[in-house]
Amino acid sequence: MATFEQAASLAARLAVDSVKEQFSPQERLEAVQKIEEEELQYMPMPDTMRTKLLGMCRENKVAAASAVVLAVMALAIIFADKLTVYDPNVINLVERLQPPSKAHWCGTDDLGRDIFTRILYGGRVSLLVGVIPTSISMAIGIVLGMVSGYIRRLDAVIMRLADIVLAFPSIVLAMVVMYTLGATTSNIFIALSMIGWAGTARIVRSQTLSLREQEFVEAARGMGVKKWTIMFRHILPNCLPSLIVLFTLNIPDAILSEANLSFLGVGTQPPDSSWGLMVSQSRTFAASSPWMLIFPSLAILIMVLALNFLGDGLRDAVDPHMKK
Amino acid sequence: MKKYVSLLMAGALAVSMLGGCGSAFDDGSASTTAAGEAGGTQAQAGTGAAGESSGAPGSSGGAAAAGGNVIHIPEHDEFPTVDCQKDTEFYVVPLNIYDRLVECEVVDGVATIVPSLAESWDISDDGLVYTFHLRDDVTFHNGAGFTADDVVYTVERMMNPATAALNTDFFSMIKGAADMLEGQADGVEGVKALDDYTVEITLDVPFAPFLANLATPSCSIYNRAATEAAGDQFGIDPAVTVGTGPFMITDWVLNDRITLARYDDYFKGPANIDGIELIQVPDENTQKLMYENGELDVVDLSSSTSQLAYFMGNDAYKDNLVTGPEAGNYFYAFNLDMAPTDDVRVRKAISMAIDRQTILDQMYSGAGHVVNSMLPDGVLGSYEAEEIPYDPEGAKALLAEAGYGDGCDLELYQKTNDPDALAINQVVQSMLSQVGINVTIKQMDEAAYLSERREGKLGMTRAVWWADFNDPDNFLYTFFTEKNTKARSINHKNTDVYQWLEDGRAMVDEDERMELYKKIDTTMVQEEAAVFPLFQMDHVVVVQDWVKGFRIPWNGWTDTSYYKVSIER
Amino acid sequence: MLKYIAKRVLVTVPVLIGVVFLIFVMLSVVPGDPLTVMMGEKVKVDVIERLSETMHLNDPWYTRFVWYLWDALHGDFGTSYKLMRSVSSLIANAFPKTLTLAVSAAVLSWIVGIPAGIISAVKKNSLVDHLFMGFALCGVSIPAFSVGMLLQNIFNGILPVSGFASPLHLILPAMVLGWNAAGTIARLTRSSLLEVLEDDYIRTARAKGLAPLPVILGHAMKNSLLPVITMMAIQISTLLSGAVITETLFSIPGIGRLTVDAINGRDMPLLQGTVVFTTAVIIAGNLVADILYSVVDPRIRVEGGK
Repeated sequence: MATFEQAASLAARLAVDSVKEQFSPQERLEAVQKIEEEELQYMPMPDTMRTKLLGMCRENKVAAASAVVLAVMALAIIFADKLTVYDPNVINLVERLQPPSKAHWCGTDDLGRDIFTRILYGGRVSLLVGVIPTSISMAIGIVLGMVSGYIRRLDAVIMRLADIVLAFPSIVLAMVVMYTLGATTSNIFIALSMIGWAGTARIVRSQTLSLREQEFVEAARGMGVKKWTIMFRHILPNCLPSLIVLFTLNIPDAILSEANLSFLGVGTQPPDSSWGLMVSQSRTFAASSPWMLIFPSLAILIMVLALNFLGDGLRDAVDPHMKK
Repeated sequence: MKKYVSLLMAGALAVSMLGGCGSAFDDGSASTTAAGEAGGTQAQAGTGAAGESSGAPGSSGGAAAAGGNVIHIPEHDEFPTVDCQKDTEFYVVPLNIYDRLVECEVVDGVATIVPSLAESWDISDDGLVYTFHLRDDVTFHNGAGFTADDVVYTVERMMNPATAALNTDFFSMIKGAADMLEGQADGVEGVKALDDYTVEITLDVPFAPFLANLATPSCSIYNRAATEAAGDQFGIDPAVTVGTGPFMITDWVLNDRITLARYDDYFKGPANIDGIELIQVPDENTQKLMYENGELDVVDLSSSTSQLAYFMGNDAYKDNLVTGPEAGNYFYAFNLDMAPTDDVRVRKAISMAIDRQTILDQMYSGAGHVVNSMLPDGVLGSYEAEEIPYDPEGAKALLAEAGYGDGCDLELYQKTNDPDALAINQVVQSMLSQVGINVTIKQMDEAAYLSERREGKLGMTRAVWWADFNDPDNFLYTFFTEKNTKARSINHKNTDVYQWLEDGRAMVDEDERMELYKKIDTTMVQEEAAVFPLFQMDHVVVVQDWVKGFRIPWNGWTDTSYYKVSIER
Repeated sequence: MLKYIAKRVLVTVPVLIGVVFLIFVMLSVVPGDPLTVMMGEKVKVDVIERLSETMHLNDPWYTRFVWYLWDALHGDFGTSYKLMRSVSSLIANAFPKTLTLAVSAAVLSWIVGIPAGIISAVKKNSLVDHLFMGFALCGVSIPAFSVGMLLQNIFNGILPVSGFASPLHLILPAMVLGWNAAGTIARLTRSSLLEVLEDDYIRTARAKGLAPLPVILGHAMKNSLLPVITMMAIQISTLLSGAVITETLFSIPGIGRLTVDAINGRDMPLLQGTVVFTTAVIIAGNLVADILYSVVDPRIRVEGGK
C-alpha cells in the first residue's frame, strides 16, 4: 500500500510539472493568480477527524453503504447463535452434501453441517484476525518506526530488520511461524503480527524524519523535553490521520492472509470453521457441490470488498494529498 | 558475494527464458496430444497447434499416443528418486523397471512366492542358507547380461554406508551385513556368487519371512557396471537408470511426468503395451475430470477417496470398476503413556463408542468390511477374531468405572492436508462426544507429526498399514516391538510381546509360528486394546473401457506392475 | 547513479545473510526432520539415527549456518534432501515456469488494467467508472484460491485445469493472478491520472480554453503512466517470487510450490535456495522501481543516494 501511495503522489507531481511546461510564463502567472484568488475565497476550516468522517459519509455513498454492510455482518457474526438453529460442528452424515434449501439456506457440507451456520461462526475468526493482529503489528510498527526515525543510532538495525521481513516471502514466513508455534488461532495472530509491522514501521519512520525537523519539535527539544515524550506527545499525534487510513487498509490484508493460511492447512483448525478453511475443504467436492465453494467465497469477498471501499473513502477524506 | 551469485543465477535464467519461451513448458504437451519426443518439439515450434489437436480427435479421448498404446496414470506426489534403496514409498516405477529374485503373485486366490530372476532355490534345514539358481537369459536395459555378481553388488550397495540407503533393514538379517553398514567390512560376508548363475545367501539367525522379504520392491536387483558408473545419478537421471524389468524409464520431467517405454528384450517376453506415463495430478477432483476427458486410463480411487462415492454411485462406471481386497488395515492407535488412554477401560470405551459400520457405509460407500484384528484377510496368519462391539451405553459405563463419569478430554492427532483422515476424525469426534469424551483434533504438518510420533509423543492417531511382504511379522513387528511401539506413539509395555515377536522371526515350524502371531494379535487388540482396528478396505480402481487385464495386486497396493495389462480399442 | 546502485546492492548483502540466518534459527526450533519425512509411514528408527549422523543433521544450527555460508560463497547451494538433486538445478528447472506465468499474468493485467483506469478517470463518477472500479476492487478483495477453484470448475473440460504442459495450461492461472494485479494497476492509473486532471493549473488552463482536453490528456497520461510502470516492476518481482497458492492449486511446478514443498519436507538446503533466490528477486524488483523513479524525476534523491 505504501508504494501505491508514493507512486500516486509522484504521478501527480510529475504530470503537473510537465503540463506546466506547455504554457508560457505569462499564462502560468495568470493561472497562479487565478488559483490564489480562488484559494482566498475558500479558506479551509480547520478539519477535525469527526467532521472529516461525517463529510465522507455525506459525499461517499459507497463508503457509507459499506460501513452499514460491515455493521450488519459484524452483528450477524456476533449474535450467530441467535440467528441459526444448527450447531456449527455437529456432524450429520445423513444430510451430507445437501444443496441449498429452506432448511439449509446455503446447503450442507460433506459432513452434513449447515454451511450458513458455519459461515456465521467462521466469521468470528475473520473479525478477530482483522482487528487483533492488525492492532498488534501497527503498535510494533509505530514504536519501531518512531524510534528508527528519531533515535538515529538504531535506524540502520531496525530498517535492515524491516528489509528482511519485507523481502521474505510473507506466506513462507507465516507458515514457518505457524509450524514453530503450532497451528492455533492465537498463533495466527502472532504470525500475522510478525509479518505486518515492517510496512507500518517504514511509513512512520519517514513521517518522523520530516516531523523531527519541524519547529514545534525543535522547540520542545530546546526546552529539554525528553525523547520519549516528544515521540509520543508531539510526533505520534501528527502521524495519526495516515495511521488510521493505514489501519483500515491493513485489515482486509490480514483477513486474506488468514484465509490463505487456512487454505494451506496451517491456519484455523477443525472442527472450528473459518471462511478460508471452508473453501479449502470444499476443494474435492466443488464440482458436484458448488455451494460448498461459493458461499464462503462470497462471505470473504463481501467483507473484504466493504472494508476496501471504506478504507478508500476514509483515505479520500483524511489524506491531505487527495483533494476533493 | 552470495548476492552476486544469486543475481547472476537470476540473470542467466532470465536470459535463457527470453531465448525461448517454449522451454518453460514441460516437453510433450502430452496430457492432451500425447507424446513422445516428437510431440515435444512440435509443441515448441507452433504453440497454437498443440492446443488445436487436443480437441480434434475427440472420439477416444486424447490417448492416441505417438507410440500407440500408452497407459496414463495419475500420481499425487513427486517421486524423489526411482532408486528404491533410497526411497520407501514410490514403488510403481521400481515395480515396472526392475525385477526381484522372486515375486509375490496371487495363484489360485492365494498370495504365493513365484520364481523371477531366480528360477529355483534351496533352503537349508536350519533355515540359514538360501541358494538361488538364477536364469541365464536375462539382460539389463543397457544390454549387459544378468549374473550372480549383480545380486552380490545389489546387497553390498544397500549396505554400503556411502549409499545412504533407507531400506537397509531388508538385508540386515544377512550375515555380515551389519558389519559393512557400520564400516567394519568392505563386503557382506553372507552373500557369495558360487558361479555366474548361482548365489548363496547366509543369514545370521533364521528369518522366516526372508523369501517374502526378497519380493519387495526394495530388493530389486541392479547392474554392477551401470549402477557404479551412474553414481549418485542412479535413480534420478533416466539415461543411466537401468534394470531388467519389462519397461525402461526414458524421460522424467520433474514435478510433471515420468515416461516408461517397453523393453523389447524382456526375459519373459515383451509387454503388451508400448509404455506408461505417470502424470502428476495432486488434486483428486482434477483426476476425476481428466479421467472423464480420457486423459487418464487408470485412476486409483482408494488413494482418491473423495471421488469414490461419485464413481461407485454412477451406473455408467459399473463395468469400469476393478476391485480387490487390500492386504492392509485402517486403525486407531492409542498412546498408552498418555492420559486418559493410559487406562485400558478408556481405550475399550472409545472402541465401543465408535460405529464403524456407519462410517464405512456413509463415507466409503461400504467398500470394505469391519475388522477386529491387525492381520487383514489375505495375509498369512489372519484369523477370525472376536467382534469388538458397538455399544455406547457400555462405553459410558466403562468410562464411569475408570473415573471419567463426567467426561474427559482426548487429543486426536493427524497431518494437515489429509482430508481423508480429517473427515473420519471429525466423525469420530462427533461420536465420542455422545459418550462424554471431548475430542480435540490436532493437526500438525507432516514433518512435525512424523517426528513427534517417532518420539512417542502423539496421542490417539489414525493409521493405515499395507503389507510390504506377506507375513504377519510385517504387521505385528512393525507396531509392537519395544523400539517400534515408541516410534508409532503406542508405547505399550508388554515385555512378553516384545519377546514373542523376536521368537516368531526365528521359528521354523509354520503352524506353531502362526499360533504365536495369533496370540500376539489378540493380546494387543483384545486384551490391551492398544490399537482399535477399523476396516479392511476394498481397493477400488476405475479403468477405461479399452484397458484390459488390469488386476489388483495381492497386497492391494496402488503401485503395481503393468506387464500383463493391454489396451484394446 | 552507478555509485547509488552499487551501494544499494551492497546493502542487500546483510539482508540476504539475515534471511538465511532467520531460516536457520526458525527451522531449528520447528519440530520435524527431513529423514523422518522421507520415511513417511515407515519409521525406521535405526536408519534415521544413523543417517542423521552422516548427513550432519545433528550438528547445531549455527555450525550448519556457517557451513552453508561457506559453501554458498563457493557457489554451492547444496543438494535437496528430498529430491536428491542440486538446489541450483531445481531452481533453474522451476523458475522458467514461474517466469512464464508471472509475465503472462502481468501482461494480462496491463492490457486490462491500464485502459480501464484511463476510461474510469476520464469518465469519473459515471456508471462505467463505478463498474470498472468495482471490478478492480473485487480483484484485490477475493482470495486467489476462490477465483482459481471457481475457474477450474467453470472451465472444466474446456481448458486444462491442472499442470503446465502447454500454453493452454497458462490461461486459468494467469487469469487468477492477472485479475488481482489488474485491480491494483487500474486503481493506480485512475487515481494518478485524476490527480493530474483535477490539478488547479490544468483546471484553470482548461477553463480558460488554453488547451483542449485531448492535448492535456495526452501529456498528462504520458507522465502519470510512469509511476504505473514502476508499480509494474514491483508487481512482477512479487509475481516472480512465486504465487504459492496459485501454483499449488494448479499444480504448477514453479518456485512457489518448490518453496512450500521445502518447508513441508524440512528440506533445509532447498528452502534456503528458494528463499534466497526469491528475496533477491524481490530486492532487485524494488531496486529497479527506485531507479525508475529517479530516472523519471532527477529531482528525487532517493535517500542515501547523495
